[in-house]
Amino acid sequence: MAMTTETTDTSAAPELQPRHAIGLSMKRKEDPRFIRGAGRYVDDITLPGMHYMALVHSPYPHAKINRIDKSAALALPGVKAVITGEDLVAAGLGWIPTFHGYDKQMVLAVGKALFQYQEVAGVIATSREIALDAAELVEVDYEPLDVLVDPFESMRDTLIIRNDRENKTNHIYHWEVGDRSKTDAALAASEVAIDEKIVFQRVHPAPLEPCGIVADMNGGTGRLTMYLTSQAPHAHRTVVSLVTGIPEDKIRIVSPDIGGGFGNKVPVYPGYVVATAASVILGFPVKWIETRTENLTTTGFARDYHMRVQIGASRAGKITALKVTTVADHGAFDAAADPTKYPAGLFGIVTGSYDFPTAFTELDAYFTNKAPGGVAYRCSFRVTEASYAIERGMDMLAQRLGIDPAEFRLLNFVKKAQFPYPSPLGFVYDSGDYHLTLQKALDQIGYQQLRAEQAEKRARGEYMGIGISTFTEAVGAGPNKLFDIMGIKMFDSAEIRIHPTGSGIVRTGARHQGQGHETTWAQIVAEELGLDPQNILVEEGDTDTAPYGLGTYASRSTPVAGGAIALAARKVREKAKKIAAHVLEASEDDIEWEDYKFKVSGVPGKTITMKEIAFAAYTNPSPGSEPGLEATFYYDPPNMTFPHGAYIAVVDVDAETGFVNVRRFLAIDDCGTVINPMIVEGQIHGGLTEGFAIAFMQEIRFDAGGNHLNTNFTEYLVPTSLETPHWETGKTCTPSPHHPIGAKGVGESPNVGSPAAFVNAVVDALAPLGVKHIEMPMTRAKVWHAIKDAQAQR
Amino acid sequence: MNLHWKGQEHVAADKATTWAFINDPAQISKCLPDLLEATIHDAHSFDAIVQVGVGPVRGKFKFKITLDPQPDETTMNMKISGGGLGSVVDLLAGATVLANDDRTTTLDWEGTASMRGPVATVGGRVIDAQAERVISTTFGNVKSRLAGTAATSA
Repeated sequence: MAMTTETTDTSAAPELQPRHAIGLSMKRKEDPRFIRGAGRYVDDITLPGMHYMALVHSPYPHAKINRIDKSAALALPGVKAVITGEDLVAAGLGWIPTFHGYDKQMVLAVGKALFQYQEVAGVIATSREIALDAAELVEVDYEPLDVLVDPFESMRDTLIIRNDRENKTNHIYHWEVGDRSKTDAALAASEVAIDEKIVFQRVHPAPLEPCGIVADMNGGTGRLTMYLTSQAPHAHRTVVSLVTGIPEDKIRIVSPDIGGGFGNKVPVYPGYVVATAASVILGFPVKWIETRTENLTTTGFARDYHMRVQIGASRAGKITALKVTTVADHGAFDAAADPTKYPAGLFGIVTGSYDFPTAFTELDAYFTNKAPGGVAYRCSFRVTEASYAIERGMDMLAQRLGIDPAEFRLLNFVKKAQFPYPSPLGFVYDSGDYHLTLQKALDQIGYQQLRAEQAEKRARGEYMGIGISTFTEAVGAGPNKLFDIMGIKMFDSAEIRIHPTGSGIVRTGARHQGQGHETTWAQIVAEELGLDPQNILVEEGDTDTAPYGLGTYASRSTPVAGGAIALAARKVREKAKKIAAHVLEASEDDIEWEDYKFKVSGVPGKTITMKEIAFAAYTNPSPGSEPGLEATFYYDPPNMTFPHGAYIAVVDVDAETGFVNVRRFLAIDDCGTVINPMIVEGQIHGGLTEGFAIAFMQEIRFDAGGNHLNTNFTEYLVPTSLETPHWETGKTCTPSPHHPIGAKGVGESPNVGSPAAFVNAVVDALAPLGVKHIEMPMTRAKVWHAIKDAQAQR
Repeated sequence: MNLHWKGQEHVAADKATTWAFINDPAQISKCLPDLLEATIHDAHSFDAIVQVGVGPVRGKFKFKITLDPQPDETTMNMKISGGGLGSVVDLLAGATVLANDDRTTTLDWEGTASMRGPVATVGGRVIDAQAERVISTTFGNVKSRLAGTAATSA
């Protein structure tokens, strides 16, 4: 089959060659301490006089609380206090704002519990074991109420979950973007169209380290120190100050090593608030570390979008319009940490990599009796849901048209010459070459040979599938004119100090959780200043020392904090240039930065390195200038960045058992400039493994009564190396034109792009049986039933 | 999770003896399997602490049990509510006592339970079998203890 490529010139792949530091596959500087078990996590912190907290949770998903009896718990030796929601209300801490800004959230249940496992009381004791035992002794008189677990039932408003709100409805908000009338007209006029329901199930990021805190109110200094599993320490400090009234200078948040975040450690959780209140009231440090069940049942879940996808096209396969209508299940509170102006996050990226003449999307969100959350799990503000919708939809339409899904995509991609590309839903894509990336994937995996093999196998009655996903992300939130969290603009920051001997330290407002910042940030500084990245220390996570920033999530660190680092380094270089002129006894106008050192223009051999300048900055500063060599930069990105990729999955399905063998998976990613190829590859491996888990294993399930059915790792599955396929990777590179070093971010791309590739592959395998769609997770049972149902209908 | 069970026991005692037995909290409490402790409050209510082991849910559950004998002296309703380890079990049970011609008694029983929390996540077939075992063992113990009482009386 000949592929139609309209703009591709694969010979011109603009891959950057390794430079001084950027582009080098340096081993991660942080790994030795992790490999040796020397990482320091919140639970490793023990302070003198520290006590422990355990939480009491509601077994009911919806129940009136008539009475809470603390007496038996308080009578247990070692118990110091039992804190209830009423206690917090009296202290003005009964409710906290959600990051979204549109809602508030109970800290501990007051009046009624709104979801199963909701926090009802906190018990503080001298040991963790005593606290847990005492939590069992807190007697709560519940009066069960009817339960809503289905957002389509919630929308009928026959039962109102949130009676604390002025509007007596379960409807939270309506959001829409695009041209409704033009899109409807285009769909109606389309020669071919699909109109399909696609669900992205509720999942949970399940980081191996659950959430936790050591809260330490120091009565002597009047300062509150919170050692916290926080992806956004500064934002948390501001929230704590706003909620408690404690001045921000009296609050220090330290986010030590984090054992995985994936967005789960962005929100403020009740356990944090209760432990902090306990420390303030009782005057000693209080530690709270979540159990696995608490993490899975109460902290930020992901997805739970019910989408109707309509795409129109001509019979020749040219797309004409896209409309996506979504019902979102937000649980009992609207705690999705989306930017204020984007209640549905960046779902507007749902047009994906395709040049739709018109598009429209709308979304309605509802309360249910489930835990709150929504944007976690390695996803840039609902980009994963959007990518899944469009990539499934495009495959469904290709199948309807009888066009090869690769050819269909190549026919409809945004062309390289169209960048910067204004999408019909309001984004301006910065750069990309979608044809190049997909063609590289097709060539690398041997697409034509695979299709030939598939034809042979189908003739033998075997089920082999090839699934493609060509996603575009919107990451790097974001430009201050558009993005804020609770009013705080979504810039980020960097502070660089170069020491006299040419080593240095860089601090940022980001906070890594395994992304490799300690290495990549050092590489950026080293690249900009010609220094040795091994001698650049990276420090994040301490609000007393790091400049203010919005933290690490939504693939924003490299696009935003990475930009700040590069620009702070350039400020250092500007100052260094003055010192170079002074030391080299030349005019500053004659000083040039070339080959990672300064030289005097036209005077060969008269050069000075940054290391030499660093020494001079402290020993021989130029007259009238400040000694030292450091700079700070707060970076407001002019636009988001738009990484993209082409993923291809190859599967074999056993029709007798429903078992899916992922035989091959190729990910070609384009994240612009690659700072450290090995770290990027590691990020892609991790994200693909999570995408595999979502596609085949994971779903947070509830029964009709609101019981949370998978509360631990025996029921909610995390793939091991045994199940995980072998990942093949590759890259193309279209640097971001507006980012200081051309980087776009990659952390979330594999999770965003891969689920659709898996589902497309399985459905492609079973297409001869008439299978049109299988909802995730594609368990063996679900695949088996799809096969049997299809066979029964034939 | 809601579950329903029913069964029947043939008791070697007359109806009056059987009726008196199931009206006695002290006697009924002794029929509960894996009982660790019972506290009798009055003629119709008692607390029981029992050892529970269902899949990963293992520990002590505390129940409040209320007997509600009907005036017809044939029907006994029981409300059992409680739980532990974050789980809640609400059980409504009923027993009908019918006299047989041979001075024995037929005990028809049925129960409906709703479960919430970790115990509800164990899985329907596991929890169903375990709960049915507890209930059938309880009424089986009623039968055997009554048989012992009848034998002693004889």
